[in-house]
Amino acid sequence: MRAVEIVVLISIILGFALLLTLGYQYLVPADDIRALAKFYLLTTYFNPNYTYTAGATESVTAIVWDYRGLDTLFETTVFYIALAGCLILARGLYKEEKEASKPGSGLSVIVRSVTKITAPMIIAVGVSIALHGHLTPGGGFQGGATMAVLPLLIIVIFSLTPLIKRGFTPSRLAIIRGLALTGIGLVSIILAVIGLVLGINAYVFQSLPKPDAPLGFPSEVEGALMGGILWFFNLFESIAVVAAFTIAFIAILLIESKR
Amino acid sequence: MQVDISIINTYLLMVTLVAMIANFVLSLYGVFFKPHYIKKIIALSMLSDTANTITLYIGYRRWVDGVPPTIPVITNRSIEGIYDVVRRSVDPLPPALVLTAVVIGLATTLFLVYLGYILYTHYKTLDMREIKRLKG
Repeated sequence: MRAVEIVVLISIILGFALLLTLGYQYLVPADDIRALAKFYLLTTYFNPNYTYTAGATESVTAIVWDYRGLDTLFETTVFYIALAGCLILARGLYKEEKEASKPGSGLSVIVRSVTKITAPMIIAVGVSIALHGHLTPGGGFQGGATMAVLPLLIIVIFSLTPLIKRGFTPSRLAIIRGLALTGIGLVSIILAVIGLVLGINAYVFQSLPKPDAPLGFPSEVEGALMGGILWFFNLFESIAVVAAFTIAFIAILLIESKR
Repeated sequence: MQVDISIINTYLLMVTLVAMIANFVLSLYGVFFKPHYIKKIIALSMLSDTANTITLYIGYRRWVDGVPPTIPVITNRSIEGIYDVVRRSVDPLPPALVLTAVVIGLATTLFLVYLGYILYTHYKTLDMREIKRLKG
């Protein structure tokens, strides 16, 4: 063995020993959950003992966009920067106009018909996952990733031409993605700006009205639970994610078809 | 005869943990010692998936009243319903952290795939030993 392999092996062993030492009480799941988890579960929809609540029935989305909203904002930023890096690496390697593929290319007529039937269903499932993210398991990212299956299916089964001919070029999708990210930014600061203008106490990333900050997004609209800020974040995040994945697929396949 | 099944439960959970640690070590081996770029990316995504699974495992809990724990979603919106969810649900924080980690992992994998494409156009190979030899 070379020295580097021995060093790697020893560091793996020592690292896992450290991990198991620090986390020995969580090696086997306990009968009860931790106090922090109980706090999240108790305050996520209703507040029996606390003043503050998130107003959503799904704890994970409430944590992702409300309790730890700033964290998720930076996660979205990381995704944006990674995609920008991809497009910079691919710069100049592809042209956005693509000559039409000859008719009859793509897979057989059975596969095409099934894709045409399932396409609206995929979109419906994705939108439902995204917009019900504060009520049922799901959220903006999961819904967007589900919807992004459809462009991939169209690329594999029909070819790139239908997408490019309908205007889904990487630059236009990047504009859509930029608008969705702008929406996320605006939703997160709009209450603070209104509070500054009116002279009322308001916070960045504020979702529902608080005792010391009366501004807030609606908790319910016509009896349907909105979860305050969560619904808007899920909507914009799903648009941003579906645009991002479509850009990545189209760009790498445009490079490949040019070679 | 009453058999205490908690030792069996603990044993099975421990088997899961040891399997995940083995998976972790295997994927680290793949990242460091597999010469091909695509295999390195596959091992890296295995590594992040294993880390995510261990995170979810930490948030798991034992069965309550002989039924598995539920997802942290409130379906009955009364106070009793909320307390019932608190009594039965798994920890909601690790899934939220894993969601963030999955998105970032996906973004970095996407970037690595594009980087691999550029590597291939430059060197006409993705074998790391060859690329080291052709340096410059």
